[in-house]
Amino acid sequence: MQATLNITNLSKSFDQGKVKALEDVTFHVNPGDICAVVGESGSGKTTLIRLIAGLEELDSGEIHIENHLVASIKKNVAPEKRDVGMVFQEYALFPHLSVLDNVVYGIKKSKSKKDTALETLDLVGLKGYEKRYPHELSGGQQQRVALARALAPKPSVLILDEPFSNLDAMMRYRLRNEVFNIIKKTGVTAIFVTHDTQDALAVADEILILQNGKLVQKDEASALYKKPQSIYVASLFGNTVQLNKGLQTAFKCPLKEDCCHAIRNESITVNQDCDYVSEAEILKRTFLGTHSQLLLKLDNGEHLTVVTSEPVLGNTIKIGFNSKDVLAFDE
Amino acid sequence: MNLKNRFFKLKRDLNRWSLLLLLILGIVSVPILTIGFKLFGGPGESWNHIVDYVLFDYLKNSFLLALFCSVIVILFGVTTAWLVSRFEFPFRKQLEWLLILPLSVPAYIMAYAYAGVFGYSGLFSKLMEFFGNGDFRIEVMNIYGLSLILSISLFPYVYVSSRTFFLAQATNLLEASRMLGISEFKSFFKLIFPLARPAILAGLVLVLMEVLNDYGAASYYGVSTFTTGIFRSWFSLGEPETAIYLSAILLLIVFGLILFEKWQRRHLNFTAAKTSKQNYNSRIKPKKANQVWFSVICFVPVFLGFVLPVIQLLIWLKQTFASVWTVEFISVTLESFGIAFLTASITVLFALLLLFFTKWNKIELLKSSSKLGVLGYAIPGIIIAIGVLIPSLYLDKWLIEKNITSKLILNATLIALVYAYVVRFLAVAYQPLESSSLKIDRSLSDSSKVLGKGNFKTFFKIEFPLIRVGMLSAFILVFIDILKELPLTLIMKPYDVNTLAVKAFEYASDEMVSSAALPSLLIILTALIPAIFLNKLLLKNASNS
Repeated sequence: MQATLNITNLSKSFDQGKVKALEDVTFHVNPGDICAVVGESGSGKTTLIRLIAGLEELDSGEIHIENHLVASIKKNVAPEKRDVGMVFQEYALFPHLSVLDNVVYGIKKSKSKKDTALETLDLVGLKGYEKRYPHELSGGQQQRVALARALAPKPSVLILDEPFSNLDAMMRYRLRNEVFNIIKKTGVTAIFVTHDTQDALAVADEILILQNGKLVQKDEASALYKKPQSIYVASLFGNTVQLNKGLQTAFKCPLKEDCCHAIRNESITVNQDCDYVSEAEILKRTFLGTHSQLLLKLDNGEHLTVVTSEPVLGNTIKIGFNSKDVLAFDE
Repeated sequence: MNLKNRFFKLKRDLNRWSLLLLLILGIVSVPILTIGFKLFGGPGESWNHIVDYVLFDYLKNSFLLALFCSVIVILFGVTTAWLVSRFEFPFRKQLEWLLILPLSVPAYIMAYAYAGVFGYSGLFSKLMEFFGNGDFRIEVMNIYGLSLILSISLFPYVYVSSRTFFLAQATNLLEASRMLGISEFKSFFKLIFPLARPAILAGLVLVLMEVLNDYGAASYYGVSTFTTGIFRSWFSLGEPETAIYLSAILLLIVFGLILFEKWQRRHLNFTAAKTSKQNYNSRIKPKKANQVWFSVICFVPVFLGFVLPVIQLLIWLKQTFASVWTVEFISVTLESFGIAFLTASITVLFALLLLFFTKWNKIELLKSSSKLGVLGYAIPGIIIAIGVLIPSLYLDKWLIEKNITSKLILNATLIALVYAYVVRFLAVAYQPLESSSLKIDRSLSDSSKVLGKGNFKTFFKIEFPLIRVGMLSAFILVFIDILKELPLTLIMKPYDVNTLAVKAFEYASDEMVSSAALPSLLIILTALIPAIFLNKLLLKNASNS
């Protein structure tokens, strides 16, 4: 299958080479797939999508869209000619244009510009809002107009830059599913940037992890969660405890020395039979609603914080984990 | 990146906008390049005489003027800005915008008016007669009088920049300071004044540039400064080379000032990051007696900088209106407004081109050097005039030699005058345009491009409708500046064209200063528009922040 988006050895730096934003990034996205780009602030996520959209110029590497070279050191196709749609973080709706005019804006010359726009507005559930102006809409509605505007020209690749970061938790959850259902329905290849791993796990076919401008892992959601290739990736997807020498001694679990080991917090159980167990004294309990956080002092004096939803009685408990849950990474 | 890749990148990023940007930068840098180039030709015959006998006077007088003005404008500007931002007292709201009005009175007009107020049978001597001391007189036509007059005409620059800071940036640190037992008065000197230094300095640099640019007031009061010296070298001694050498020294002083301001700002940048917004809705209400004092303190600069000169001009207007209001005067007024309108339109267009060509150009080095295009405002008008005059003379000579034309088509024509104005006032148009374009979220134009529209379509459909207000303010500001401009116009204007500023100067120079009232009042009346406009903009910005 021919990939819709192909990126090879992409590098970009700013401030005359002093700040490296992306280094030697290579990946591809298959037709109709939704790919999430995850990373901490400053990891190069936004630079990556701006390069794909043509809003920045690369320093080295190549970008192909639908098998056409759109960017290299010798060539740079202007953003308006790349056949890419984009939903911006702040939506970037044109404040002086109505909802309909915003959506019509990008549709290439055709007799049925207005019809196409109305169909797309219908698709995102905004039928009847055509004459309104952006400031007359709620955050969620603005988000949907931005999506309709990006989808209306039928781009080869749809880019979404932190699409839900401006919404509250309830709205975010609802809209996330709606938006990605619409995207799946249109069959467009999408790439979206997020710092929220829940968004990525929920909707992405593949997740791409960036760290300091480098691509550190690209995998399907479940594979990425179960087999992270570094402690950085593991930490992005939940609380992770690195098993240092002290913890290994406390749990009596001699692990290979040439590896770095970690255990997810949810894999640590309280008062249950496990492969590796340790007695622990509870130093502090913090009530967090559905669960509690415990600060523990282990047999050998090591400290450990665990989160549990089990009721815990007394001052001393037994905690442990199974060998199959131990994550191992190259050092 | 290796050299080969650098070359490919340059070739890829070089677009037509880069070339057009280079062209604009080239056009506006001609005057400065001319001064630099002509320095290699050596000074004129009188240079040694000037160095031996008058250069020290020019330096001393310009330095003293700058020093006195700095002290007075800081005293007036910062004190009044602090009072209106921090305290509640009678007429505070009115005084807040009245304090900007002196900006509408050009320094040379202020100088004429004060010469009248303190002259024989002027308002001051009448007042002294009333108090039975008719012989008592104050001589203002010296460097001290000139300093005071320039200061009261220019202090609003410091007032505006300080007030903006006090309204938007003055901080909860002040409250912390009061909680630590430091009085309001002490907190001001220990905390607010040091924090406001970059803002005050920004206003002060503008004042100093205007002081160095002044020709009309200094020449009327007979004070020799660099600008009057350059005039004298060119027109009395007939030595353009010497004028160029003096211009180069003045240019160095101005660039020194700019660099000093930048250095100071960099040094104090932490203040902007660490201060937070302060809500001044609840101004402090001082004791009754202090309230009266605060009103008086704020009214004094308004009286000196606007009320008194306008009263003097109105008295003169009553005496001379019939003789000055002629068909010729009406035609000068129309010419003056016409030139200002034409040039303001061209300048705004140039500023737009500079702004958007910079944006569309992709070569980093060119992007960062585009600011060179707006250096003109820092350069005294007289230097720009000389920098335009010399190449236009050469070009005309060449065109005549090649039989392309038989008469001068650049020198002493409207083309050269408009060109010089554009170079001088490009920054005035550029700044409001730049700030209104910066307010547009970058993602708006990005999204237009991603949606298939090129630079031009994005400009006309998205950016242009959103920067219209910025364009209008740019136009008004340039229009007024051109209407007020004197030294550059005096040198560059075609012999058959006149402006209100030049007319006022001619009347004053011909010992008919009272006849200068009508053109002066017309200039003031027109200049009132941006003074009020500026205040509204300031209040809006403060409330937004």
